[in-house]
Amino acid sequence: MAVSKKSMRWIPWILILPVLLIRTFTTIYPIFVTIKNSFFDIRILAGVDDFVGFANYLKVFSDQKVITSITFTVIFTVVSMALHIVLGVMLALILNMKFKGRRFIRTIVLIPWAMPSVVIGMAAKWAFNNDYGLINDFIRWFVPGYQNSWLINTGSARAAVIAMDLWKDLPFFAILVLSGLQFVSEDIYEAARVDGANGIQCFFRITLPLIARNVLTLCIPFTLWRLTSFDLVYAMTSGGPGEDTALIAYRITMEAFTNLNIGYAGALAIMLFLVMAVFSWLNIRVTSRLAD
Amino acid sequence: MKKKAVSILLAAALAAGMTGNTATVFAGEEYDLTLYSIQTTDPDFDEWLANVEEATGLNINVIAAPTDSDTRQQKVTTILSTGDSSVDILEVNDEMCAAFKNSGWLEGLNDTVMTEDIRGEFPQGYMADMITDKDGNIIGVPSYSGYLAFWVNQEILDELGIESLDTKDDFIAYMEAASGDGRYGYGGSWEKTYVFNEIAQFVNMFGGDYFDWTREENKEAIQFLRDMVANGWTPIDQIADKYEQMNPKANDGKYGSWFMWGLGTDYANADMLGADKIHMAMVPDFSGKGERAIFTDSWSYVLNTASEHKDAAITFLNYMASEGGMEIAYKTFDRYPARADVAEKVVPDSDPSKEMYTRYATECNVKGRPMVAQTMEFISDMGTIFQSCMKDEITVDEFCEKAQQYVDTYTN
Repeated sequence: MAVSKKSMRWIPWILILPVLLIRTFTTIYPIFVTIKNSFFDIRILAGVDDFVGFANYLKVFSDQKVITSITFTVIFTVVSMALHIVLGVMLALILNMKFKGRRFIRTIVLIPWAMPSVVIGMAAKWAFNNDYGLINDFIRWFVPGYQNSWLINTGSARAAVIAMDLWKDLPFFAILVLSGLQFVSEDIYEAARVDGANGIQCFFRITLPLIARNVLTLCIPFTLWRLTSFDLVYAMTSGGPGEDTALIAYRITMEAFTNLNIGYAGALAIMLFLVMAVFSWLNIRVTSRLAD
Repeated sequence: MKKKAVSILLAAALAAGMTGNTATVFAGEEYDLTLYSIQTTDPDFDEWLANVEEATGLNINVIAAPTDSDTRQQKVTTILSTGDSSVDILEVNDEMCAAFKNSGWLEGLNDTVMTEDIRGEFPQGYMADMITDKDGNIIGVPSYSGYLAFWVNQEILDELGIESLDTKDDFIAYMEAASGDGRYGYGGSWEKTYVFNEIAQFVNMFGGDYFDWTREENKEAIQFLRDMVANGWTPIDQIADKYEQMNPKANDGKYGSWFMWGLGTDYANADMLGADKIHMAMVPDFSGKGERAIFTDSWSYVLNTASEHKDAAITFLNYMASEGGMEIAYKTFDRYPARADVAEKVVPDSDPSKEMYTRYATECNVKGRPMVAQTMEFISDMGTIFQSCMKDEITVDEFCEKAQQYVDTYTN
């Protein structure tokens, strides 16, 4: 029996209907509920549920805990992404070189990425401990008597969190850059060398321009992951000392699920969502321009 | 052809997997109730469960609670606040009791479990402060009685020739003598959600009131703790420490004294528990008037209002509140019985904790910890400003001013 062209048009919709239904219940509905909640003062433990308009949004600008979280989130994202790009490209270049055991190195370099962030966070809490930590033990090989409690001062605790984030995700970034590097034809380098270009010139004039779009495209998800990162801090520092390493996603989680301030957490989540949307739009624009 | 064969194999594997899952579900055991327990990591948990099932005739499904305190609190909160009926009985700590007792999520037990005949045997101050709601309903069965005990390292005391730690002056003398060369007279866990216990303990020792930061005694307590850091009697490093970081340091002889819950399982496991090593001691009298203060705590079994197995749950709770239930908890988990009459009968005189617990109960002003409905938020905020104060980022006066603001915010 022949199926008419008109009825064929519905088949794709019927096939994807289960996915659409699941998405509606698990994503679209929660987003609308979160938007609605953000206009209410909902504090479950205090039994409060009042409409407050934009008060939750305005509170963000006077809440010292949230301001600290936003500050650290910006530092964390900018520093971590800058180091991802610089060190990631360097690592990718190393992994792109021809040497014995290259395959093995490419494989083991991914191990940290495959580990859950919570496990890394818990291990890092001990690793940075002054008395029992391997970081200070290692430093004491070179600086006998070295004492430093990394996680008690704002600067060093933030540096430790960024270092662990890099340790975990940098190899994955590098492997993805490496995949871009492998599309750069050896012939181009060959021709450049014939014209007298040295290694540094080859990197800045050939490699970097050719992988720039790839790197920028990678920056979109990696930056968004930094903005929504919470598990590392959750397990490693619990946002401490004080609130100094509480990333904004961690703050939202604590407000929503520990303090049960659902309305305020909703407002924070919507603001983060908007920031991420604007960032993604900007990044796509820049990437498209580069492509042109 | 090869493609077709692979497709058939994959489809067969998928179908087998689905059938297997279905069979597992169909073959699933029928349970009388579900318990959300924090004890599942204890090696004797299975023995305890078998005893409870035999004594109550119940077939109990157990769900392991997360070991991380934040995650645990979030999961319990989610279960209760959403009216999830898949869990009947939960074990909750004081923080959760304070948060949930007036929420309507927990069933009152006055007429079914915590009846008048046994109610008087539980610690009265604790019952009133922690597990009684605003309408007078008792919402939990304390599973044990614990103290925030004062622990000392006898080896350090002997080395220094110190025999008494009874007064504030004795305490200071011990701090001065014991501190130095990587060792500290006092140690703590000052992570922002843990330090609350010690702040409140020192405020009590100085005769203050945790909910009134205008009092001079509160300021004295914070100044004393700050001086301890400044004098090198206690390390500032500990603001990153929870109990799992503090206890190894205590076992390693880095600390001369500290406050800690429980009967010293971590010290016993390290072979450091004993009269000549690490042991509990009487809380020093800082007031000079013989007034000593100590906090008590417990984890309580509570009944989810949304439970669909309330009869079975009440049978379980009645056993937990009985002599048999408390005895097996003491024998398997080292949990000191919450009922005074049971403790007297069940705990042998040879147990060193019995003597000290009896002394704490009789010689100290025993209190439940000061908590509010928004407990975790309050605890975290107080911990944050305390850490700032200990790091010299804010003054003691600023700390007291901010602390009073938090008290006003969270108690109104």
